[in-house]
Amino acid sequence: MKQTIDDALLKRRVIITCGTGGVGKTTLSAAMAIRATLLGKRTVVITIDPAKRLAHSLGLETLGDHPTDLTPQIRAAYEKAQAEGADLPAEFTGTLAAIVPDTRRTFENFVTELAPNSNVAEKVMKNPIFQIFAKEFSGTNEYMALERLFHLYRQECYDCIILDTPPSRNTLAFLDAPRLLAQFFDEKIIRWLILPTNKIVSIGMKKALGILEKLTGAGFMTHLLDFASSLFEVQANFTSNLRKITTILESPQVGFIMVTTPTLDTAPDIQHFLTTLVQHKFHFDGVALNRTFGHLKATGLDSKNEDAYSVIRAIQEREEVVLKNLMRNPILVCAKLPELARDVHSVEDLFHVAMAFSPAHSTPSSTET
Amino acid sequence: MHSTINSHSHPIHNALSRNLIFTHGKGGVGKTVVSQAIALSLAKQGARTLWVTLEDPTLPAGEIKQVETFLWHMNCDFTSAFEEYAAMKIGVSQLTRIFLKNKLIQYLSQAAPGVHDLVLLGKIWFERTHYAHIVVDMPSTGYGLALFQSTYNFVKLFRGGPLHRDAQSILETLKEPQSTGHLIVALPEEMPLRESLELNAFLAEIFPQNPAAFLVNRTFPTVLQENQEELSPDSWPSPVAHSIEEYARKRFILENYNMRLWMDQKIPFGKLDFIPPPPTNSSHIVVQELAKQIQAKAYV
Repeated sequence: MKQTIDDALLKRRVIITCGTGGVGKTTLSAAMAIRATLLGKRTVVITIDPAKRLAHSLGLETLGDHPTDLTPQIRAAYEKAQAEGADLPAEFTGTLAAIVPDTRRTFENFVTELAPNSNVAEKVMKNPIFQIFAKEFSGTNEYMALERLFHLYRQECYDCIILDTPPSRNTLAFLDAPRLLAQFFDEKIIRWLILPTNKIVSIGMKKALGILEKLTGAGFMTHLLDFASSLFEVQANFTSNLRKITTILESPQVGFIMVTTPTLDTAPDIQHFLTTLVQHKFHFDGVALNRTFGHLKATGLDSKNEDAYSVIRAIQEREEVVLKNLMRNPILVCAKLPELARDVHSVEDLFHVAMAFSPAHSTPSSTET
Repeated sequence: MHSTINSHSHPIHNALSRNLIFTHGKGGVGKTVVSQAIALSLAKQGARTLWVTLEDPTLPAGEIKQVETFLWHMNCDFTSAFEEYAAMKIGVSQLTRIFLKNKLIQYLSQAAPGVHDLVLLGKIWFERTHYAHIVVDMPSTGYGLALFQSTYNFVKLFRGGPLHRDAQSILETLKEPQSTGHLIVALPEEMPLRESLELNAFLAEIFPQNPAAFLVNRTFPTVLQENQEELSPDSWPSPVAHSIEEYARKRFILENYNMRLWMDQKIPFGKLDFIPPPPTNSSHIVVQELAKQIQAKAYV
């Protein structure tokens, strides 16, 4: 039953899946977690935005940091599949838990943790700018997911952690998040901002602040300065946390997988992703192609439904072109997962999906010997 | 331009007759091509139309460019929109340049929540008098909502100053059915259909007098069903299909099953047929085909 994807699951302690919204990252990550469980790993999947019915059937509806144990359901699905003669490992020794973190709450916890005392934490959280910031600043959700990962990593309760990154419009959003937040916590700038009367502040800076105040109104500026001075107090702790997280992300214990669908416009996105990984010194474990049609056989066709079949054939042809392009470049495809005929509603469904990873091809340069 | 609201026409036609048209939806539903096709269809009818993308990383940013007769495109980006805004408010001078180059200002304009979104929306709003229609490809659900939400919060939280006044005027325009149409695009899949209802509830909260129109993109061709027992997807033992015939049959059942979510709520919605993907990378062909459909169905 071994597939290419299993190599990554055996090699790494953490797998981070990145991809834009709509590619089915959550389903693919959950199915990967089941494979890790079948490989005997104590597995946890951190998932941000599962479909409502799936979350409901897995008992994951309550947001929070408590892992939900799914091992009994997987064991049941394993035993059922084994009785039906599926190709499975002889023994079932792994475990699987799932966490759906509440990113907003985690951000508050995060500030509380960083703040030198509870007064500062309260002051930050009451600030209206923080309230918008916690929800909307690009990078916060991503960074909170990393914080969650960091905690689990240190606990050592799990030997395989799969992080399904928050849905974003851009695959790189996740990789850029720490840098964006670090910019926000830039010490020099915050220092300027909270010491506007200081003589060090240049005349130009004073003028700029004056213009900004004219544009935005005094209320906004007051809150902003207040927020910045509170940030200043949490800045040192943030920076040291960020350094620790970055060290973990760079280690060979952590692998990155890009989830995408086999469409032609994803090629530049993949290249971009690879370049950025190299810049960050992160480890690449391949592209996972989701929602593929290549496995569908042309049997039992009824000429009355030719319109529908021709759409599927067109999708299959495009998929072949995409695969050829990936081979030529060459880019490792670590997994292929079929387009599903219906949504996933149970652990048993997920088990079927986990078994449907099709043998992906390795490129010559990445074949392990 | 005055739009006529015809009570006999389809809600989509109605929404697409407005000056500002926002297309909303989850990532991956084909919002970019659909909004582009809407803009193209309007332009083909002889209306000056601007198609707007917001900070699309795959497109060059900034300037408005003419792409067809009556059709212009702008990939709105924060930096140039902010420069323009500041120049408008404090004049074009050495002072403006110094102001914008100031490290602190660059930092604040990126980090201060609300300002970023407000400036992008503001740019679109200022362009509205130059075109019969502006069709905006909104960022996918969460981000698109944030764009309105932070402008809304800004107005509520921070009084005084020109930014506040402009934000208020922008929200007024977006509330009016005479000026602005909101179109929610989904796929016939569970998650996008469900999220559309959440999105609609949110839009209804900030724009109560201006209900959104609904559109399902990429609906599959009809597949005749022989086996009545199969009609409920929940009865299928596995979500995985093995042949083209099985997938096509199940796909058609599933789509109709999923769309009940909207039908049960008596939501009138439009549909666009699945365009088979062209073998080469050419979204241009898909946009042309979709524009033909939009015109044939009298959505514009």
